[in-house]
Amino acid sequence: MMTFAIWIENTPFFAYVRGSGYEFPTLLALHLVGLAFFGGMILLTDLRLLGWGLRGTTIAGVVNTLRWPKRIGFVWVATCGFILGMSKAEGYFLNTFFQIKMILFVLVLVHALVFRPIVYNHPEELDKTPEIPGRAKLAGALSLFLWLSILTMGRSIGYMNSPAGLHYTELLKSILNLGKG
Amino acid sequence: MLITNPINAFELVFPIMEVFHIAGFAVAIGVTAAVDFRILGLVPLQQTPSQLAKSTGFWMLGGLLVAIFSGFELYTSDPDMYYTNWSFLIKMACLIVAIVLNYTIHRKVVQEDGSSGGAKLVACISLLLWGAVIFGGIFIAFIRGGL
Repeated sequence: MMTFAIWIENTPFFAYVRGSGYEFPTLLALHLVGLAFFGGMILLTDLRLLGWGLRGTTIAGVVNTLRWPKRIGFVWVATCGFILGMSKAEGYFLNTFFQIKMILFVLVLVHALVFRPIVYNHPEELDKTPEIPGRAKLAGALSLFLWLSILTMGRSIGYMNSPAGLHYTELLKSILNLGKG
Repeated sequence: MLITNPINAFELVFPIMEVFHIAGFAVAIGVTAAVDFRILGLVPLQQTPSQLAKSTGFWMLGGLLVAIFSGFELYTSDPDMYYTNWSFLIKMACLIVAIVLNYTIHRKVVQEDGSSGGAKLVACISLLLWGAVIFGGIFIAFIRGGL
């Protein structure tokens, strides 16, 4: 895993992003802009599933309308996040908050696999009952919790330095220099 | 007796405040962006822009208040650094303009359920201003020059 991290962060593109002046923070800002826009749509969906907002619109209306914008937003955020992550892969792979964030992404995938067949793929069914079904509320609450946790872990990454990561990079550089010599 | 600012006295307060700051902005900007996307026709929700704004107004205001109060706390940790940082000053300028726009021209456009060129222009300006607030916030840590 670390071999892969060292290799990918030292490929010309990711090394350029890491070593650049304003490219890295620009990507970081784009990552957060996408997160705000995309997160807003997740929030609207979750609020509707929980019955805390958009009560004037059917659940099907909200879920179906926001499906594609959310997917586009996810691709935007994930692309920026991937470039940021791989440009400092070694340090991030050793960062506990980054590891927790990745585990949370796996849980988002599990959430999708569990709730798609019973909530998101058939939202019309949820509008037939006078009360919002428990499974829909559970899907909304878990989604809200997972995404807020991802946001928290994402910000926390910056507070943990990984000196070991630097050590690996230095080690690789010295090996490469030895080869040249 | 000297009173130490809690944000400087306890190591964990700053990151916790920062998380609240980002979450508050994400909620406020997220729901505002949804209204703007609705005006632009990119998110064709059943609700009109005014209905959408009305049903998300609480979350917009709540998120904004959390972002502002936590932001003020963050500012007090090192006022000299923030006050002399160009990126922070640009962020503040954009934030003030974005808030004023949101509760004046933007609100009028939303209440009229406008979809004209002018309404779309206001939605674009709103999105750009909120985006600039995020950019300004991120670049504070990367730009040291200032006044």
